[in-house]
Order: sequence, then C-alpha cells, then structure tokens
Amino acid sequence: MLTNYLKITFRGLAKNKAFSFINIVGLAAGLSCCMLICLYVYDELSYDTHHPDIAQLYQVGTVFVNPDGEEKTAATPYRLADALQQEYPEIGSTTRLVGLFGDDKTLLRANPVGNIANSKPAVFYESKGYLADPTFFSFFRYDFVEGNPKQALANPHAIVLSETMARNLFGNQSALNRTIHIESNTNGVGDYTVTGVFRPGTVPSHIDARFFLSYAGGGLSQYINGTTGMVSNNMFFTYLKLKPSTDARKLEAKLPAFVEKYMRKDLAVAGRDKKQFLTAVRDIHLHTDLTHNVTPNGSLTYLYVLGSIALFTLLIACINFMNLSTARSGKRAAEVGVRKVLGAEQASLVRQFLSEALLFSGFAFVLALGLVWLMTPVFEAVSGKTMHFSLGQRLGLVATFFGISLATGLLAGSYPAFYLSSVRPITVLKGGVGRAGGSLAAVSLRKGLVVMQFTLSVMLMIALVVIARQMNYLRSADLGFASAHQLIIPLRSETAKTSYPALKQALVSTAQVRSVGASAYYPGIFNPEDARLYGEKQVAADAKVTRMNRVDATYLHTMGIEPVAGRLFSVQFPGDTSNRVILNEKAVKELGYPSAQAAIGKPAIANRDSENYRSIIVGVVKDFHFEDLHVPITPFGFTLNLNGNYNYVVVNLKPGDMQSTLQSLGSVWQRFNYAEPFEYSFLDAEFQKNYEAENRLSTLVSYFTFIAILISCLGLFGLVSFNVEQRVKEIGVRKVLGATVGNVVMLLSKDFLKLVLMAVVLASPLAWWVMHRWLQGFAYKIDIEWWYFALAGLLAVGIALLTVSFQSVKAALMDPVKSLRAE
Amino acid sequence: MIQTINLQKLFATEEVETTALNGISMDVKDGEFVAIMGPSGCGKSTLLNILGLLDNPTDGEYNFYGTAVARMTERQRAQLRKGSIGFVFQSFNLIDELTVYENVELPLLYLKTPADERKQRVEAALERMAIMHRRNHFPQQLSGGQQQRTAIARAVVAKPKLILADEPTGNLDSKNGEEVMKLLGELNDEGTTIIMVTHSPYDAGFAHRIVNLFDGKVVTENFHV
Repeated sequence: MLTNYLKITFRGLAKNKAFSFINIVGLAAGLSCCMLICLYVYDELSYDTHHPDIAQLYQVGTVFVNPDGEEKTAATPYRLADALQQEYPEIGSTTRLVGLFGDDKTLLRANPVGNIANSKPAVFYESKGYLADPTFFSFFRYDFVEGNPKQALANPHAIVLSETMARNLFGNQSALNRTIHIESNTNGVGDYTVTGVFRPGTVPSHIDARFFLSYAGGGLSQYINGTTGMVSNNMFFTYLKLKPSTDARKLEAKLPAFVEKYMRKDLAVAGRDKKQFLTAVRDIHLHTDLTHNVTPNGSLTYLYVLGSIALFTLLIACINFMNLSTARSGKRAAEVGVRKVLGAEQASLVRQFLSEALLFSGFAFVLALGLVWLMTPVFEAVSGKTMHFSLGQRLGLVATFFGISLATGLLAGSYPAFYLSSVRPITVLKGGVGRAGGSLAAVSLRKGLVVMQFTLSVMLMIALVVIARQMNYLRSADLGFASAHQLIIPLRSETAKTSYPALKQALVSTAQVRSVGASAYYPGIFNPEDARLYGEKQVAADAKVTRMNRVDATYLHTMGIEPVAGRLFSVQFPGDTSNRVILNEKAVKELGYPSAQAAIGKPAIANRDSENYRSIIVGVVKDFHFEDLHVPITPFGFTLNLNGNYNYVVVNLKPGDMQSTLQSLGSVWQRFNYAEPFEYSFLDAEFQKNYEAENRLSTLVSYFTFIAILISCLGLFGLVSFNVEQRVKEIGVRKVLGATVGNVVMLLSKDFLKLVLMAVVLASPLAWWVMHRWLQGFAYKIDIEWWYFALAGLLAVGIALLTVSFQSVKAALMDPVKSLRAE
Repeated sequence: MIQTINLQKLFATEEVETTALNGISMDVKDGEFVAIMGPSGCGKSTLLNILGLLDNPTDGEYNFYGTAVARMTERQRAQLRKGSIGFVFQSFNLIDELTVYENVELPLLYLKTPADERKQRVEAALERMAIMHRRNHFPQQLSGGQQQRTAIARAVVAKPKLILADEPTGNLDSKNGEEVMKLLGELNDEGTTIIMVTHSPYDAGFAHRIVNLFDGKVVTENFHV
C-alpha cells in the first residue's frame, strides 16, 4: 500500500511541477530559516558548558547601593577573593581575572629568531588581553598545545597565547619560553615569557581572551598593592570553585554578614554601601543583566525574538502547504471518492495524505540542509558568530532538524489529510467538491491562513522600517560633539606617549589638519575612571558617580564640545592643571547648583580615604553623549593634565582627499614612532560600533522579512492559480458577456487584496507593541509614526497585487472559447 | 439477495426540498441482471447510490444480503461495501496517477490480499477484459473503451456478489459500448448480480428485467426471458 501512496505522490509531483515546486521550496525556505536560527540559539545556549567543574563555578558580583538606585555589576575588589576563601571553608579555590581595560589593543613585540641583525622585530597589536591568577586554568578549560595549564601562570611575567597569536609572532616555531615585550596602558611595560599556547575552543565562553598575562608582577598589581580594603578598585572578576555538594544559595546567604565584617567600617567612612552575590558561571551569558562583565551579556530577549521569527517562517511555510493542499482538494477529491468506493477507509486515506506530506517535507529537508550549508558563512557574517560543531553535535543537529522537518510535515499535512479523507464518496461522484473548491469552512480557513501569513510579513516589514529609522537616528543624532572628520590615533607604547607633544606639533602644522587634542578616553568607548562628587551644599552621602576624562588643553576644542558657562581649559591659565574641573550640565545639576552659571567658581568635592579633595569648576559644557544612545547622559567631568598619560590623539581633519591626508599623517607618525605601525580609526565609525547588536538584528530581520515575504508570495501565487483554475468557466462566460481584461483582473484580485488589507490592519497594532518594547531599550529613540504602517501596508498590497496579477492577467487574456471548451 | 421496502430520499436545501425517491420497493435475486431506466432526474442514480451503500435513504428499509443497512454509518457501510460490490461509472473514474495494472490492483490492496494472489487475480481480470497488453499504461493513454474495460476489470477483480453500473456505455461509441455490454452479460452468466442504470433501450435489452422510474417511483417493470 505504501508503494502505491509513493507512486501517487511521485507521479502527482511530476505532473504538477509548479505546485510541487512552490510547496517544496516554500517548506525548505521555512525550514532552512528555522535551522539557521536553531544553530544560533544552540550556540548561545552552549556558553561555558565545556568547563569540567562548571556546576561548582560561581562568579561573585557586586551591588552598589546608591541613593538613586542600585547598580549590579560583575566587578569586585581585588582582596575579596582571599577574604572569602579564608572565611568560608566550602570554597575550594578562587581565581581572579581582569581585562586590560585601558587598552583597546595591547602592543606585543617579539624579537626575531636567531638574532639576525637586519630583521625587524615582529610587532603586533592585540586586543582581548587579560591578567589572571595562577589558578585560572584549573577553573576554565583551555586546550593547551604547548605548556602546562597548571603551571602556566604560576610565575610573574608569564604569558599564555592563543595559537593564532603564537603563529603571528613566531611563525611555525615553538613559542614556549620565548620572550615578548608588552606595552600596556593598564599594566605597564615589561618582558613576558611564553609559558603556554592554547587552541581556541569550539565551545563559546563568556571569557573571550586571546592572551593571558600573570597578574603578579605587572603595573596593575603594584598599584593594587598600594591600596587597602574592599571599597574601591572594583575592577576584578572573582570566581569561586565551591567544594562538591556545597549549596551556593546557602553560601550567598552568608555574604551580608561578610560585608558587615570586612567592609562596613570602610563603607561607612566613604558614605557608601554595597552587597555581594553569586552568579553560576553557566548562567553568565544569558541569565544575567550586569554592567561590566568580562564580555557583554547575550540577550535572552533576542533569542526569543529570533525564536519567534523561526517559528513564524516555519508556520508560514506550513500554512502554504495546507493552503495549497486544500486548494488542490478539488482535484484530489475525485481520487478520494474512487478510493472510498473501492473500499478505502478514512484511516488509510489519512495515512496516504500524511505520508505524502511527510515525503514533501523529506524533500524540503534535504533541500533545506543544502541551503543551510550554503548560507552558513553568510549567516555567520551577519550574526557575528563563528559556529564550530563536532561530528556528534552535527549528527545531533541533523537528527533534530530531521525531527523538526517531520513534525512540520505532520502539522502541514494533518489538515489536508483529515479534510480530504472525510469527503463523502457520493458528493465527489456527483461532481460536488471538484467544482466548488472545497466547503465554505475550507474556503474561509484558507482565507484565514492567508491573512495570518500576510500579518506576519507586514509585522516584519513594519519592524524593519522602525529598526531602520532608529538606526538612522542613532547614526545621525546630534551627539553634542563633532564626530565627523575626527581621526583617532591610539598611543599605546611608552615611546608614543612620551613623543605626543612633538607629534602634536608636527600634526598641527600639516596642511589638512585643523586641530589636535589628546585624552585618556574618547566618547563611545568605555570610560573606566570616575570620581564620586558632591556640591558645596551637599554631604559625602549625596555624592554622585561622575565619569572623569584626563585631557590636554586643546582636546575639548578639537572635539567641538562647547561651554555653556565659564570657559574651556587653556594653557593661558596655568592653574587649570591642579584642582580645576570642567563638568557637563548633568553633573552641575546633580551637584545641586541652580544653573551652569551659578556653578562657575564653585567646588566639586570628592571624598577619598576620608579626606576631601576640592576642585573648582571653571567651565560647564553642554551635555554630550559620551556613551551610546542606549543609556541616558550621566554626570561627566574633565581634568586638565598637561603631562598626561594620554591614550588617544584626536585629529580634526579638513574635508578633502582622505587618501593623501592619511598618507601624510602616516609619515608624520613614522617620524616619531619608527617601530610602530600607524594605526587609526574614525570617531564616528568607532561610536557606531556600540550598535553592532542592533546592526546585526537589523540585517537579520531584513533577511527574514525578505524570506517571509517570498514565502507568503509563493503561497499567494499558488492560491491564486487554483482560484483561476476553478473559475475558468466563469471567466469565459463573463468575457462572452462583454467583460474587459481589466474587469476580469479586478474580479480576481479584489478578494485577495481584501485579505491583505485585513492583514495590514491586524499587523499594525501588534507590530507597534513589539517595536515599542524594542525601543524601550534605548534612552534616546524615535517616535513610531503613522506612515511606517502606511508604507508597510502599501508595500504588502503592491507585492500581493503583483503576485496576483501574474495569474489573473493570464486568465483574463485567455480565449473564452478555450476556457468554455475546457468545461 | 437484496430487498428495499418503501425507500424515500429527500434532498433539502434551505429554500427547496426535492423528493428524489418516493417509496421504492424492489427485490433483486442472486444472479439477476436488472436495468433501471427513466428520464433525467427521475432518481435512477440516487437509487443506485443507495443500493451501492454509498448513501443512506431518508426513510424506508434496505436489506443487503440479510443485513439491514438503511441506518448504518458511512464507516459501517464502507466495511460492508468492501469486496462485496463492484462499481462501473459512466466517466470510468480511474485514478490518473496509477497505471492500468495499479488501478485494477487497488481494491485488492484495500482488502489486504496477499501479494502473489493479488498478482494472479489482477492478471486474470486484465486477461479477461483483454487489456493485459496495456497494463503499464496510464488512463490518459487509453481509448474510452479500454478505460471502461479497465474499470470493469477493477470492479470484478475482488469477485463481488453485486456489480452496480451507472450508464456504463454513456461515454462510449456504439462498438465499444456493445463490447462492454457483452462483458457485463458474460459476468452475469457466470453468476454475478448486476444492477445497471441506463438511458439506452438497447443496453437494457441485455437485462432480465427493466425497472422504469418516474418522479422517484417505480412505474412499470418489464421481464425478458
């Protein structure tokens, strides 16, 4: 019997090529979308699952209790780990990690092998460097290709590299025991011995390190050794490995007592308060919402969004399948009738139609696998992920996808199966079903399904418009500083930093340069320095966290940051270098001064180690976005530091031939920094990097919108074709009676357009709600305007009209004699 | 044998009610060949559908080889129908996607007949209907006569007690029509009961008895000997 079903299916498939194509391609497109998203979700869910003791690993977090609310962060002070270990025997061991947060990239130099006199040392800039405790590799699994993970960070001045970096620095030779000279803004200058090389893992981790330095012995450890207590220096990530069968919740419950015992006195002096808590390492990526973790969190919301998109596209594909199958029921009903007369029972017919649907989904599965294979590189580029899967994982995924395909087949096939098999043979033999194209219920169901899939498509289109507008807003919003034509040159090495004054002189005298400034940080990147400031009429407990940037005298001019009261820093006021500060409007308000003008000459007070440091406000600048538009502008201040250890030069360029400008700037750079390559970036582009997640989402949504529309159109196309087929006689009669081509096209298009319009009406409020929620993630955002909906609606109607007209025009042009004879 | 007592069939829509059968009582003995005649719309096909267990009467009794079937569900009727009734239609009703052989094989598949017996019986039926040489062709590749011979082969392959034929020659030319009628005659000679609806007095001549219907009632019965 099965072979009989298969025969019918194959022959039917070959006979109705267009519809088989629409069905299979539609299902395959839906399936491949779903598969790609599954891959992404799977990858997101697999973070940190590969560490051997993952169940016992916890990260300690800090809650800063401020008068205006709490801030949860993963950052902790250095001495926390030792104190916890000493206090609680259930903690087996601890490890600490801190990123080279002051370096956007770190300079590494390896001397050439074999002391060849004229060969240049290999100099590289590398990002993602970390300082770690000796115990680090007993917590987190890294596959070493050279060296011993247990010993790798045991001694000061050790470095563990990724395999790629080792290749870059040493070619094919062993990297072990070689010396690398490192210059870091965060950890100072020093020579490090390679003690290990690891192969980047295939399982993603919240620690994205490319190299590790031993914490001991570096500049940062020297700085930390000079501090005491656990109130400040919250920059370390502290991990605990609990002894087996320790209840982490019970340990966490003891932490308030720990804070009382070890920190209360210092906190009281500083007028601050904080709490500590534990996060399971396996939960870090998706289940936390902390500021400043090792890497930014993944977003469960995005996973839900993507998951819904996957489900939507699959659903649309299923709907098409059902739609086309039931539309074909007129043709199939005759077969069903005959089969029933010959003794077929409903169950056997259900089996027949289900196996047919399964076969279709089987074809679609194979096609979808091919599509996924082709699309993976594109998807990786768009989603910013590299996917590595072992053979076992691959087989598991393929099996899962096969399961999904079968489920899709069953779901899509179930309605046609039960609908068709329930046809009474007598009706069929009288020619009832064949003519009408199904019962009223079937017709309205089919229409309902078309409305549903267009609703989904229109929602995606509206989402796309909103995302595009918001992205455009993010790109074009007034940031409060001049972001165009600003070249950023990082100063990474000691040489580069000390040669800055001379470099500045040379740059300023270059024809294409307007002005040059330097600073520790620039807008859009993490600004780690802060002070807790309060005004003259306030007390220490009122202090507000104010981000601080060290700048030279021309930085603010160069950045186009304008004063609203007072003045900017100037070399003409030598006093500016000590205890003078420029604040933004927000900071002035927080300090309790009634206006910007009123704040000039007034103090901003910081309380450190129970001493007050007073700075005089010499200028107030307009609020500007030192962070991206996700977050509101918070208090910010500048100090002038002429001998500053600047990290970045900002060069304001005149518009013109960028190529030649860069060339001349490059040669200026080489004059002062012979050993280092000329690296640069543009401020506006750097700032936009903060919207990478949104850019990816936008690209992803546009891909999926395209696919959803394509699938919807395939479905509509199929449906219209059947509608036309069923109305051939009617069209013939109408034409004989004098209907024009226009009349007929109108007649055939009208019904479908009504459905699409209905979909637009349904989609609009839904899309508004979803996108309104999405926009809540931005402190600065667009308003959703009525024309977004109108545009999406018009597009949907246009696309539907185009799709329908393919078939309807053809039908309308048909010779009426032919169409009547066909009856 | 089959027997109907006072069969009624009403077709009701929201607006109108049509009486298709209005008190039909008739007996058909084993081995009989009965022709049902009458003008269009007199209820011939409705009666045939009820006799063939494809439809239920609105009222009245129907005794099918000792079983009262008038109130049966579609599922029960389908069980009873399977293997005991063969159908031949005016428009052949072959499945386009199946070959001649596969079409004829279909009733046996639903009866779960073992494969070797199936092959033997299908081939015998094809042989019998002189259509063996076209066993691997699809219906569209056949002439009308060949298609109807295939349909008859399909109707007899399960060896039913009763064959119902609804204008079996309606779509055929006279030569092919004659051939089909001869085949039905031969089947009847071998003991199969046949009830046939026809417009053609010539075809009705092959029957033992002609039942004339008018407005849903039996008006006359003629016997041939």
